[in-house]
Amino acid sequence: MKQASLSIESLREVVRRLPDNGLTSSREAAIAHLGEHGLPTLRDEDWKYTDLSPLIEISNRWLTAGGRQQPSELPRERIADITSSIDAIWLVIANGTIDARSIATVTHKGIEISRFSDAPPPFAVSRPLADLNAALLQDGLRIRVNVSIEKPVGILIVDRAGESAAVTQSCVEIQVASGVSAEFIEYHASDGDGDHYANSVLSIGVGDGADAKHVRIQNRSLRHVQTGQTSIALGRDSRLRIASYDLGGRLIRNDIDIDLSEPGADVGFDGLYLAGDGQHIDNHTRVDHRVGPATSSQEYRGILNGNCRCVWNGKAIVHQGADGTDASQANHNLLLSDKAEIDTKPELEIYADEVKCSHGTTVGQIDKNALFYLRARGLDKRHATQVLTHAFAADIVLRVPVTGVKDAVTAIVESRLAELIEEDAAADLLS
Amino acid sequence: MLEINNLRSRIDDSEILRGLSLSVRAGEVHAIMGPNGSGKSTLAQVIAGHEDYEVTAGTVTYNGQDLLELEPEERAREGIFLGFQYPVEIPGVNNAYLLKAAVNARRKHQGLGEVDAFEFLKLAREKMATLGMDPKFLNRGVNEGFSGGEKKRNEILQMAMLEPSLAILDETDSGLDIDALKAVAAGVNALRSPERAIILVTHYQRLLDYVEPDYVHVLSQGRIVRSGDKSLALELEEKGYEWVREAANA
Repeated sequence: MKQASLSIESLREVVRRLPDNGLTSSREAAIAHLGEHGLPTLRDEDWKYTDLSPLIEISNRWLTAGGRQQPSELPRERIADITSSIDAIWLVIANGTIDARSIATVTHKGIEISRFSDAPPPFAVSRPLADLNAALLQDGLRIRVNVSIEKPVGILIVDRAGESAAVTQSCVEIQVASGVSAEFIEYHASDGDGDHYANSVLSIGVGDGADAKHVRIQNRSLRHVQTGQTSIALGRDSRLRIASYDLGGRLIRNDIDIDLSEPGADVGFDGLYLAGDGQHIDNHTRVDHRVGPATSSQEYRGILNGNCRCVWNGKAIVHQGADGTDASQANHNLLLSDKAEIDTKPELEIYADEVKCSHGTTVGQIDKNALFYLRARGLDKRHATQVLTHAFAADIVLRVPVTGVKDAVTAIVESRLAELIEEDAAADLLS
Repeated sequence: MLEINNLRSRIDDSEILRGLSLSVRAGEVHAIMGPNGSGKSTLAQVIAGHEDYEVTAGTVTYNGQDLLELEPEERAREGIFLGFQYPVEIPGVNNAYLLKAAVNARRKHQGLGEVDAFEFLKLAREKMATLGMDPKFLNRGVNEGFSGGEKKRNEILQMAMLEPSLAILDETDSGLDIDALKAVAAGVNALRSPERAIILVTHYQRLLDYVEPDYVHVLSQGRIVRSGDKSLALELEEKGYEWVREAANA
């Protein structure tokens, strides 16, 4: 199968027309790097299960049509729905544009918000999709939390697709100052009938002794495509808890890179992905234990139904000298259809001596005995399946680290699960 | 209430029930005894509707309807309760949730409204107290990490909440200490009424000291080979199952 390749010429053309807000040189450097290395293909080990052709094709259509940056209509109601249902200090990036009004409403003195254009960052070589992001980015958002805050800071990245194909970028840098406790919500949503590709880049820096919590909710339209690159660095004796929920999207690829270069760091990250017919959700995580002692633990769970494919690849590298590392990885999957496919792979590379590492993956179906037990108590097959599926997801939902989003997460996970079980493929299972 | 006629059933390639007939009327307590592998549990599973057991011949009629036509959940809603020999652990599903869903499924079938949350909790706590169960079990995962005795008490709690017309208890007495056995027996006795029937599947006579059966049947090689009153259980206890096997082959 021939994979599409990104039209660098059209990209250059579109980027040339972006207003010069100080980001021009990093955009050019990004294009140059991208031109040289290109986007990953199925031949790349890290990308062998995920064909980027759909997003390349959307990008090319959008680029050759002129790469218009400002789709006319903002999803105002959707924004209001989300920001009113979760109590947080909300910052909004809508259709790739930072919403100045949302920034203006942040009055908390402990939170500094700025844009990349205020102090342009130098171009840094990263992953190829981050290059694409840097090339097309209108402006980036910097959030610095200097004092412990009660309310979570919410970042809503929302897109409304018009009739023609569109591509949007978002880039956010979060820094939690030393000793500070802070909570964040990263919420991705989209609607609209047209093809849409959203590409996001996020970095989180947790200062020495700081305690951060991050909840990521990806609830995009099932027609849309999203890729996300998250880079995390933890300071000495700092702590970070992450929970990530992937519910929507036709093609989703998440890369999380966690750098543990300071002793005493402790990171725990959980993920839940729910995939139905036609969805492809790929989670690649990488933890670099560079020093010890430090702890990383991750658990991803997936529920798959219909003709879909999910990928989980969890890599932990314990570098030489990182004694006292404690790393654990787990990935559990529940397949509700024989057409669903999961590619799951834990990868451990250990170059240190005193380490404690564990990993485990499972792929299973609904437990027939449990199903019969529930039916023998009067629950019909559909209800029983739903109950067991919920139970499988429950651990990850209950572990949501930001208390204020628990209800919202529970509600959207429940509603997506109900949809999944209603799908035709589930009907086969239930017949 | 329950009429089983010449029932034959198999799992995979082995025939377990080979022409079993049994008649249970409202108000009666039947004990079904027999050696391991005689088909006791299979009978319980077939009545409850486990799909791994294929019925190859015979009929089962429950209150005049063809029971074998009904899905397991329909049987439950019609008032059949199976107390499992091995209650399934379901982490992540709250015990209270299951109890309530089960009660509501039955009520809905009876054309009644859903049970009020307050009333439900009150009733559940009362029943738990009589069974000697800590109310904290309501908020635990279904059977998750329960001891053998706790699982069996939990089955009896479900039965007590559901108030079935026909309760089949599959070796509910096995592996219980004397306190748990008494609690289970009290739960069963509390259910006895002229409108209900109970089938106790058991390997030992012990439970029958606490729950007095009207009839005792001995199962061997998938058939009832002997029926009698409670004295049959004592006779069995004395002479062992070998005696029945010989009788069956005679």
